[in-house]
Amino acid sequence: MNLDHFGMDTITLAGPLEAKLRAVREARFTQIMLSAQDLVGHPGGEAAAIAAVHKSGLRVTGFQVLRDFEGLDGHLHAYKVDVAKAMLQMCRALGSRILLVCSSASPHASADVRRVVQDLQKLAMLAVPLDIRIAYEALSWGRHVNEYTQAWEIVQSAGRENLGLALDSFHILANRTPLDALEEIEPKKIFIVQLSDFLWQEVRSAEDRIETARHSRVFPGEGVHSEKVIELVRQLDETGYRGDYSFEVFNDDYRQLPLPLVAERARQSVKWITGRVARRSLPARRRA
Amino acid sequence: MTTKENLPEPSNPLGIDGLEFVEYATTQPQAFGALLQKMGFAAVARHRSREVMLYRQGAMNLIVNAHEAAASTPTLSAFALRVRDAAAAYQHSLELGAWEMPTRASAMELNIPGIHGVADTLIYFVDRYRDFSIYDVDFVPLAGTEARPAAIAGLHWFGVVQSILGDRTADWLDFYQHLFGFSVLPRGQYFGVLPKGTLLESPCHKFYLQLIEPPPGAEDVRWDEGLVRVGLGATDVPAAVRALQARGMVFVDRGAVQPSEKGALTQPYLGGVTFELVHSHLKA
Repeated sequence: MNLDHFGMDTITLAGPLEAKLRAVREARFTQIMLSAQDLVGHPGGEAAAIAAVHKSGLRVTGFQVLRDFEGLDGHLHAYKVDVAKAMLQMCRALGSRILLVCSSASPHASADVRRVVQDLQKLAMLAVPLDIRIAYEALSWGRHVNEYTQAWEIVQSAGRENLGLALDSFHILANRTPLDALEEIEPKKIFIVQLSDFLWQEVRSAEDRIETARHSRVFPGEGVHSEKVIELVRQLDETGYRGDYSFEVFNDDYRQLPLPLVAERARQSVKWITGRVARRSLPARRRA
Repeated sequence: MTTKENLPEPSNPLGIDGLEFVEYATTQPQAFGALLQKMGFAAVARHRSREVMLYRQGAMNLIVNAHEAAASTPTLSAFALRVRDAAAAYQHSLELGAWEMPTRASAMELNIPGIHGVADTLIYFVDRYRDFSIYDVDFVPLAGTEARPAAIAGLHWFGVVQSILGDRTADWLDFYQHLFGFSVLPRGQYFGVLPKGTLLESPCHKFYLQLIEPPPGAEDVRWDEGLVRVGLGATDVPAAVRALQARGMVFVDRGAVQPSEKGALTQPYLGGVTFELVHSHLKA
């Protein structure tokens, strides 16, 4: 496991897209997670943003985020399908193979699992011609789906090749979901793992979780749950997960600090993690 | 006494009943038309409002579209499925997550519903193919031509070959299985002389789709997703090859793809278009 397996996320950094790309590259990361705002908020428009990303030489870890998609009816469903299509098209133009979708927090969302499964199957179908994989993530404040174990059941029921899981350590830690169920998940169905820690011991209410998730996350190694993050990474590594790890660190302080300083903290975090997790298994050497 | 095996049919939710037409786009429709004639197709009608021609051979309809073509090499740009109810098939597909195609019909023309397929290609739904056809409305017959030219050596649609990127077979299986009810043929059951890939059978058992990932060792080859070529079925491939050779077609005659009982492949024409012949149990 080395720096190439880790990426930063534009949401951690302040400033224009080009400055973020430069800071991440100069910290010697090779990949970056992008948000739709990075494209549509670019002063030169989406095409200019996409060109800047391609020029940076950074690989796009994934594209985020489609919210509150599943479980809606009638015009709400049709509206969200339109939003999803636009997100998929941006994702494709960017050259990202992963679209991140978080479990719905909408009060209008149905609890009917069959319905949720159908909607995700539809999203996965929309993504097939564009060569995009849908990574479904249980938000810790999701209305009906708020633990990775539920998200995994839904992904299994949907049974689509390009529909898998996004795991986010924050949501797992915040809801104190046990890690033992991770070993039941096929590693190839985990499309992306997002890592972060936070500074409080407990986040009990949904409001607390939302507030912390959006403003006060830190890099692994900087918070109070970091050993748990290591346990998560170690377990994923042991079960055979070989995909990317992305730092999903929303932090108001980091958004007012110089970019190289924040990127350096991210790099230190990679060192901290790789120093504690055994190397990814390599093919056994043949004996002479 | 004969007993019919009571085997369950794979579901056919759209009532698919074969291929109605395939469509090529090209900026050189005349040169391609000449090639099609060598392949046994005859021009039979012209579109009312666009630079689009209908060619026919036996039960096969082939459309050459020069209206919005971008490339000179004729490229497979669409295929049309015969279905029970085109509007219902279209709605059903959208509900399952297909991308809708914007309608292109002009005044007094049929609106043929369609969805996006691989890359820039389209998949149309046609339900008027029995007592009267879509061509009766949108096309003007060419004077002095035979409306139903006979097929050379019983040629008929066998299927369409689609190239896909590496590790994409399962994605595209999801697409064709869940949208249309195609089923995968067991490995080892194949036709023709070309790389096998994965074969999908239409729920009506009247044609096939073949998905081909880049072959191993092709890392340096430019390989895009798209519709690559059509396969024409023949009960007697060598006879069909001889008949087409007599009309001036040239077949690849080397290595594993030389003409045989199983199949044959034409040389590439006009910058890359090929036709494949496949030994077929299907009816003309």
